[in-house]
Amino acid sequence: MNYFIRHSGNILAVLLLSAAGCVSYCFAAVETFTDETSGLISWKAQHPGFSLQFIQLLPDYVRAVYGARGLPQEVVELMAGYCVFGTIIKNESADVLGYRVADWHYFTADGQSHPVKTKTQWLKEWQDMGVAFRWSLLPDEQQFSAGDWSQGFTTLPLAPGTIFKLNYQWTQQGKTHNGTFERLQCAADKSPDE
Amino acid sequence: MGPSNDCNAQRTNHLMNKPLIATILILVLCAPLQTLQAELPAPELSHGLTRLQPPVTAPGFSLADMDGEQHTLDDYRGKVIMLNLWATWCPPCRREIPSMESIFQDLGDRGFVVLAVNQFETPDHVFAYMGQLSVYPTFPVLFDRDSKVSELYGVKGLPTTLLINRQGQVVYRAIGGRDFDHPRVRAIVNELLTENGTPVTTLTNVQ
Repeated sequence: MNYFIRHSGNILAVLLLSAAGCVSYCFAAVETFTDETSGLISWKAQHPGFSLQFIQLLPDYVRAVYGARGLPQEVVELMAGYCVFGTIIKNESADVLGYRVADWHYFTADGQSHPVKTKTQWLKEWQDMGVAFRWSLLPDEQQFSAGDWSQGFTTLPLAPGTIFKLNYQWTQQGKTHNGTFERLQCAADKSPDE
Repeated sequence: MGPSNDCNAQRTNHLMNKPLIATILILVLCAPLQTLQAELPAPELSHGLTRLQPPVTAPGFSLADMDGEQHTLDDYRGKVIMLNLWATWCPPCRREIPSMESIFQDLGDRGFVVLAVNQFETPDHVFAYMGQLSVYPTFPVLFDRDSKVSELYGVKGLPTTLLINRQGQVVYRAIGGRDFDHPRVRAIVNELLTENGTPVTTLTNVQ
């Protein structure tokens, strides 16, 4: 008991430090940005040597992108009905870094976990509709050298305005890491400034 | 999960005898869950290139330019080639074009060429896009309408840029936008320009 009292400060410190370490790594520093013009929100998770950014895209923007490819109106509307984010992944370390979208999951309000569909899965689903957007969607997986980065659409079958949690994963120096966006939100149907 | 960064673990051990100070310091240093409201800055273009070891023989190709004229990789044999795969919808692609034009203007007469290989788009669409750029590119813009060339080079995302030496080998790679006018990139291109070696004929050709 005396031992516990004598060392309780240290034990408390260890617990707090462990919690702080986990919080800083697992959850990272998440910054939220709001575009002054459009009111659209983006989130950036900054981990040591790795950053991941999710940028809201308006359904009208998605309409414009898919419509510009000459797709039928019903297909364009289908695409605009999805929850689409611009995603930017950066290797800010000096080591090789990799990710696989297949390892990512999102959680809806009912607590259900859903795998994030990969580009390959979406294109397979859309192939009969003539959608062949192999370049604008976020690649399924990539290995980045120092300074490499990538961007692309991440598409989720969620309604405009839906709030969800996203767990993502990446590898760095041979280790697998996990991070979480506690609260992402699909863009509303219309720009907040309209 | 094994955290790879424990926020100055050595400092932590040293401070363990002063738990309160240590806790406050660690919480401040680790700065967890900081949320800020600000305008999103455009990602800064980096300048790092990855050296491929060993170098890979550059697959040959034949692609049309804006005027329908065919360009093969063999046409540029013996030159240092910056092969840039891009598309008009891709913001970093747009941002790196002026730096490619700048380095091409400065080193073009020394045996350096930029080939901008557009993915999946039409010459009409790209022509209209080019008219909106602050710097109009004078290097060849080629059209890889079915992305066969990007597949040959194993490219997964845009932009991706490859440097091919005078011997026809891919020696550097960059995934994501870059500032190619940066002194470090210029130094690499200069080094490749001064390398000696017999150009090799490319192995395969894709129409």
